[in-house]
Amino acid sequence: MTQTLTRPATVSPPPPAPPRRKKHRDPSRYFRLHLPLVLYLLFTLIPFYWMLVFAFRPTGETALVPWPITFEHFDTVWNGIGFGLFFQNSLIIGVGTLVVVTVFALMGGYALARFKFRGQRVFLLALLCTQFIPGAMMLIPLFVIFKSAGLLNSLTGLIIADTAFQLPLALILMSGFVRNVPVELEEAAMVDGCSRLRAFFAVTLPQLRPALVAVGSFAFIGAWNNFLFALMFASRQDKFTLPVGLSYALGEFNTDFGALAAGGVVAAVPVVLVFAVVQRFLVQGLSAGAVKG
Amino acid sequence: MRRLLVALALVLSACSAGGQDGPATITFWDNNGGPGRTPIYEELIKRFEAANPNIKVEYVGIPSSSVQQKYDTAIAGGSTPDVGGVTTSYLAHLVGQDALEPLDERVESGPLKGKLLPGLLETVRQTAMDGKLYAAPASGNLDVIWYRSDLFAEQKIAAPETWDQLIDAAAKLTKPADNKYGFTIRGGAGSIFQLLAEAYSYSGVDKFYDGGKSTVADPRNAELVSKIAGIYKKSTPEADVNNSYTQMVAQFTGGTVAMMHHNLGSTADVMKALGAQKVSAMPLPKGPSGKRTVVPNPTDGFAVFKGSKNPDAAWKFVEFLTSAESNGYWNEKVGQIPANTDVRSAEWIQKNAAVKMALGVLEDPATVLVPAPVYLPEYSSITKTDTEPLYQKVLLGQMSAQEFLDQLAGKLTTAQQEWEKRK
Repeated sequence: MTQTLTRPATVSPPPPAPPRRKKHRDPSRYFRLHLPLVLYLLFTLIPFYWMLVFAFRPTGETALVPWPITFEHFDTVWNGIGFGLFFQNSLIIGVGTLVVVTVFALMGGYALARFKFRGQRVFLLALLCTQFIPGAMMLIPLFVIFKSAGLLNSLTGLIIADTAFQLPLALILMSGFVRNVPVELEEAAMVDGCSRLRAFFAVTLPQLRPALVAVGSFAFIGAWNNFLFALMFASRQDKFTLPVGLSYALGEFNTDFGALAAGGVVAAVPVVLVFAVVQRFLVQGLSAGAVKG
Repeated sequence: MRRLLVALALVLSACSAGGQDGPATITFWDNNGGPGRTPIYEELIKRFEAANPNIKVEYVGIPSSSVQQKYDTAIAGGSTPDVGGVTTSYLAHLVGQDALEPLDERVESGPLKGKLLPGLLETVRQTAMDGKLYAAPASGNLDVIWYRSDLFAEQKIAAPETWDQLIDAAAKLTKPADNKYGFTIRGGAGSIFQLLAEAYSYSGVDKFYDGGKSTVADPRNAELVSKIAGIYKKSTPEADVNNSYTQMVAQFTGGTVAMMHHNLGSTADVMKALGAQKVSAMPLPKGPSGKRTVVPNPTDGFAVFKGSKNPDAAWKFVEFLTSAESNGYWNEKVGQIPANTDVRSAEWIQKNAAVKMALGVLEDPATVLVPAPVYLPEYSSITKTDTEPLYQKVLLGQMSAQEFLDQLAGKLTTAQQEWEKRK
């Protein structure tokens, strides 16, 4: 605010444009920048290439370019293993977890960032500590609790389990994002007559869009990829999810690489699509959180 | 707030309340679920339900890599299935948790009496401390050498009968410049089980324990281990040191190697990729003793869980699965050795050269079975976590074969002595 006031009233001439870059760039730039980037890109993309080759290549072929392509492996995973239903279950669990985690993280993160309460630091520390506990260790206690609550064999149960494990990190991330939004904005809105809730929805929430995307996509992907809970808390074929379906391709005596790769493609497509759509927000959101979180 | 919580609880319970199962619904967990086996079970369940309209079977395919963890969680949480597929490699673990019903009386008093292969019954009984039968054996497996009969014919090499012949053949079939190798070694996950089968087939040592001491470190066993380590990188790919069965099978079906030691479990993969014209199975070669000593593979079977509310219906299903008709159907599809002796005369066995050969080996009176002590609670950790890295050292020339086997034998002896004490 004060800055605006102290600015000189007269309009100063625009600053001189920066000198244009010379056309012939420094050749070492290619070695310093492009070469490492290209190598890194190859390193990242080769597993994807490998997956596509196996997914579209007939069994027993060794060609490096799958041609003519075959869809037999997709037929195996979709019709043989029943990926259709697993995909649907994964989607319900992923979206469910995303919604619940985002809503709770928003509320909790706001509280952590904006209010001071007794035991706040201990609470934050406890949240962090939960990250040290591997899911496998909680398996049997959770199983017993879920059994007595009647939550075994249900997608709701899986959403709750995934939420419980995603929420701490989401809360920590979200409180960092909320802290990044100047509290003065909210105060200004409240001076203008907004209630705290209204100020939150009108002023803070729009600023948190990248944060919602970042937290939501982490929650979605975490739930989407969770194998352990899906296998352990469900004992009915129609409640399993994609990661369980994928591991069907790894048998006791034989591994169906084609089916594994085709299943991998099916499982990866939604995640890649999610990232393609949200990556703009994600980069922005993560860097925003990184500074102050 | 309270109203909200009550509403939430109601919604949750409504979402999760599974319909009350009728008294005659039983659940069956397949311990190796997947596109290869699930359809076979679905067909068998359909037949069972048609014959027993008052029993409904709910099939659940468990991925084999996680089945032990799934059983452990279910036992700890008190949510076991009625019937579960099991193999002797972890049966002792389930028996130790008091999760399974003994089946001796049921077998003896029903149509399965005298119909199950005695060798397989024995391997199942051995896994339990009390010597009872905690699973009805359904199929046996045998370690074999899969070999490219077409390449052998091309080079005019006869199928090897001794390990020395195999090592010679491997050298002849190796052309590193063309990325072709004679043999592949399982150097990574699961290496020790296969190595022991190789060592005993060579040495002819016919007992795993002699006077309470493990015979693993017998110098004749060490001789074979040195021989195998000697062909590493010469007649095998260098990457073999990290091979689990998946890499071996991929190398063999991809055409890189001419011989592979695995078991009948890879029949479907091998036949699909190469076809019966190009590939055959032979038993593990013999050693200088000329004796046929076989370390039997884990036996697959079906167990009835103690937690079952319908143990009679569960047993009926097990009995159906191990009956001659179902057992034959199942083993024909997966290419393994049927446990029900009535299946032996079935037409498909005459056509399936690998299963016929395996049955021949198991039923040959000259064959001596040397069962590995899979009943030891530490067996898995000793042979996997403790010893697999040591075998890699042997392959890489950092440890002698004898030193390696001495260490393994020491651990197996101690574990056996502790087990005897607890017995």
